[in-house]
Amino acid sequence: MMTLLLLAALLWPLCAAGNVVWQAYQTPSARRNYFPLVWLTASWPALLLAYGGEAHWSIAAWMLGGEWGLNAISRPWLAFTALLWSVAAVHGRGYFVAEQAKAQAGDQNAERRLLRLALFWPLTFVGNVLLIIAQDIASFYLGFALMTFAAYALVVHSGSQQARLGARAYLILAVIGEGLILGGLLWAAGTAETFMLEGVREGIAAADHGAMMALLLWLGFGVKAGVIGLHVWLPLAHPVAPAPASAVLSGAMIKAGLLGWLYVLPLGAEELSPGLTLLGNVMLIAGIAAAFGAALLGVWQRHPKAVLAYSSISQMGMLTAMVATGLAAPAVWPLLLPGVILFAAHHALAKGALFMGTTISDHMPRWPKPLLFALIALPGVSLTGALAAGMISKWGVKHALYEMDHTYLIMLLTWAAIGTAALVSVCVWRQWQQRQQGGSNAFQWGAWLVALIAALITPLWLPLPEGSIVPPPLTEWLGIVWPFPVGVLLFVSVAYWLRKVGGKAPPAGDLWWLYSPLAAHGVKLAQAIGTRCKAVKGACVSVALAVEQHSMGQLTRLLSSEAWMRHHGSGLMMAFAVVVALLLIWEGMR
Amino acid sequence: MNAAWLPLATLATSILAAVVIFLLPEESRRLRTGINLAAAVSKIILVALMVGRVSQGYQDTFSFQIVGGIDFVLRADALGVMFAGLSSLLWLCTTIYAIGYLEGAANRKRFFGFFSLCVASTLGIALAGNLFTFLIFYEMLTLSTYPLVVHAGTAKALAAGRVYLRYTLTGGVVLLLGTVMLYSLTGDHSFASERGLAPYLNDHRGLLTLIFVLLVGGLAVKAAMVPLHGWLPRAMVAPAPVSALLHAVAVVKAGAFGIMRIIYDLYGIELSVELGVTTALAIAASITIIYGSLRAIAQHELKPRLAFSTISQVSYVVLGVSLFGPFGTIGALVHLLHQGLMKVTLFFCAGNYAEELGIHRIDEMDGAGKRMPLTSIAFTVGALGMIGLPPVAGFITKWYLGIGAIQADMYWVVVVLVASSTLNALYFLPIVHRLWFRQGPAHGFGEWPKEQRLGRLETHGWLLWPAVFTAMVSIGAGLLAGLPFSPLDWATRVAIGEYLP
Repeated sequence: MMTLLLLAALLWPLCAAGNVVWQAYQTPSARRNYFPLVWLTASWPALLLAYGGEAHWSIAAWMLGGEWGLNAISRPWLAFTALLWSVAAVHGRGYFVAEQAKAQAGDQNAERRLLRLALFWPLTFVGNVLLIIAQDIASFYLGFALMTFAAYALVVHSGSQQARLGARAYLILAVIGEGLILGGLLWAAGTAETFMLEGVREGIAAADHGAMMALLLWLGFGVKAGVIGLHVWLPLAHPVAPAPASAVLSGAMIKAGLLGWLYVLPLGAEELSPGLTLLGNVMLIAGIAAAFGAALLGVWQRHPKAVLAYSSISQMGMLTAMVATGLAAPAVWPLLLPGVILFAAHHALAKGALFMGTTISDHMPRWPKPLLFALIALPGVSLTGALAAGMISKWGVKHALYEMDHTYLIMLLTWAAIGTAALVSVCVWRQWQQRQQGGSNAFQWGAWLVALIAALITPLWLPLPEGSIVPPPLTEWLGIVWPFPVGVLLFVSVAYWLRKVGGKAPPAGDLWWLYSPLAAHGVKLAQAIGTRCKAVKGACVSVALAVEQHSMGQLTRLLSSEAWMRHHGSGLMMAFAVVVALLLIWEGMR
Repeated sequence: MNAAWLPLATLATSILAAVVIFLLPEESRRLRTGINLAAAVSKIILVALMVGRVSQGYQDTFSFQIVGGIDFVLRADALGVMFAGLSSLLWLCTTIYAIGYLEGAANRKRFFGFFSLCVASTLGIALAGNLFTFLIFYEMLTLSTYPLVVHAGTAKALAAGRVYLRYTLTGGVVLLLGTVMLYSLTGDHSFASERGLAPYLNDHRGLLTLIFVLLVGGLAVKAAMVPLHGWLPRAMVAPAPVSALLHAVAVVKAGAFGIMRIIYDLYGIELSVELGVTTALAIAASITIIYGSLRAIAQHELKPRLAFSTISQVSYVVLGVSLFGPFGTIGALVHLLHQGLMKVTLFFCAGNYAEELGIHRIDEMDGAGKRMPLTSIAFTVGALGMIGLPPVAGFITKWYLGIGAIQADMYWVVVVLVASSTLNALYFLPIVHRLWFRQGPAHGFGEWPKEQRLGRLETHGWLLWPAVFTAMVSIGAGLLAGLPFSPLDWATRVAIGEYLP
């Protein structure tokens, strides 16, 4: 039964993709529906699979030996990923109604764009599922690569200048990330002689250069997870991607980077080498820096989705810091892991709901505005930890850290929540400024409401092991809630102050604008070197040719002298005979 | 039980086909096509028989003495059969492709005659049982490919052919010199001998190294290792099926395969490590890999870019050979097959674009995915495989080479591999992007350089299906690498069974 579900989970999305191609050839564009039922349900078998219980499969014929499984990490992960994809697909159907109408009216560009999106959406999803259930390196890498490269089509969807820039940033960093991951995996797997992710984990813990391997893998997956310095694609790609794509990008796909860390880093292992502990501390600092830095940069953004992208970086920074404790203070990890998963799941759905919410304010249904904007803000409030699932997930992390007395980290994470609150306020404020009436669609707001509710009640449906969800005691309530009002107040006062002073906002993608001229200079330098080398080579070739010509000339002259000898053969022979005879006579006379 | 007829018959099919084709008149197109296909299919059957025999543990040998101490030997051993299998499978695909490609062209008799001879020599190289036999077929390959390279007969083609002959004949002379020195030192030395050259190590260390340099130096010309690669990009003027064959199996692979024979069968891997030549070879291969990729980025035309990519990719084989250990060896063996499959796909596709749409330059490829979807999918598969992304076969190779490098304690090789992957992405992804994400003539912007409607499908069926088939095999070889008789399985069998201590 589980195997059937597994097959359905992987093949049904492929059927959906195949159906898109089939329809493109069969149905005339005027009647074509790009988002039929098979497309909308593409992710449902995977969702069912997550609730089917734990399971394990080995397929010897698959690549380097396939090992797939659903365990304490991959089951909840699959559940929230598939749920988000399902909701986003339904949302997408509403979101693209106008574009589909255009395509049916004969707009070739719209037709092309929708076809591309409809085709690559289920493919990206298959990659995402595969990387979650994979326990062997090859399947994991396959899923990761498929998801990464197929998602390019989702980012570039609109085809505008901005979208192409965002997609290019995404792709360049993705290629760099793939390279780092490949290097790290090869190194670790080669040292440990293994094909399994578990072997990599153990190998890194045991190897001499374990810290270097872990560093490569951390950075490689960090491209996806938005580690500070490698995060630049997020604020460039998110605003330009269509809202449902942004939702899965920020909710499900950047979580794949986090999952990569959980799968390959020796988190919570006993007796880690000093190098790995040092790496843990570096990760901790990078995570905290991202959590605060992203909030500081994000509040200046105009585009609500750019604000949300910075918020994702900030949230992933917090998650990075939590993962880092698995290396820096391994004892806390077993307690912390369920909290991390819950945190990730809640963030996925909440961020998904927030991204979908940006289209709700663009196409407001005829609801009372205060209610509408309260609902739009709700998942954000939950993210700060002020209510519902957000509060429980914050506590899930905090109580684990309390048990081990990591008060500094708790304090920093709490302060980072102020940044979250400020970012959410900025986002809602920007949405309020840019709100537009009309064009709402039931699929669109229906899916958004489902995501919103699912985010608020995350602990109820997430298949975590028994007893790993702890509701916060009432005495701790204030300690979790206070960052939200403080953050909002901070935002209001700063906004008021800025109105008076004014100033220039930093561009979205911050460091990208530093990297790209540097890279351009590098390319120019390489080109100059290339031209120089070409000149040198040309000179070498011409010298060699001249030498060849010269020596051939000498040879030809020699040959002509040979012809002369042949011509005067008899005379020369006679002269030779005379010389020999004289020599003999001379010899005889001695 | 020794089935001596089997290697001989396998070799004879293509030679016989060549002779019959030369005897037929130019016009008898149908008969020639029939003979070509019949020979190709029967050769696949014969090779399959050999595979069966080898997996049962037999080594069918055919030999006779030429002069005292020098034998002509054909032997079907596991490594040879692997290469023979590759060449016979790709020969069938390329023959089908060439029939479609040369529809209505002049000099088809000459073309297919030398084509068959070329494959016969490749098969001879695969089955050669000692260095002397190897050398005969190696030179025969040089001579039989020349008419194919200059097939178009233009001034550019003739110039390229001249360069090709200069390089390969010089390489052949160097190889001959090495062979003569080796024979004078050791007498006839079969590839199958167990001892290797280890007994000569103490007294003739310098001489052994010199002979190694001569042999590998001669072979490196055909394997297109930097700086002996100059002929390969120029030979791109040849018709697409020839380029495909040249790049995927015949010429460059003959060089790489020869290096394998020298190291595994003649010297023995332990002796090579002892002499220290493997490290030098690994460095040379790495330089070639990086240099080829860098030059490929600078190319603006499709076929030259693919040619420099070949230069880079073939050295993966050499790199794997020079890594001492099971994974490196398996990686080298399996890349011999995988690279052939993927590269032949790419060249088929390049030929399709050129024939159907007149595309030669990369910037003309915008939006070609809409006009020729199957070809473009096949091209994308090949390109992703070259980058080394799963599930295409290239990933398997890269993985084994990387692990092999780690186990041989050559960490810098991993850096080379990762850098090469990134560079491959840098010059293949833009093409894939153009195919699928840019708008071009298929969307109503501009025109194709020279569009012909060759068939009912996107192009002539004879051109289309070989490309689709090899692309599917490339994916299959990666996705189902764990199946018995997959390239990986066979390479593992060869490596574990024969070359590893």
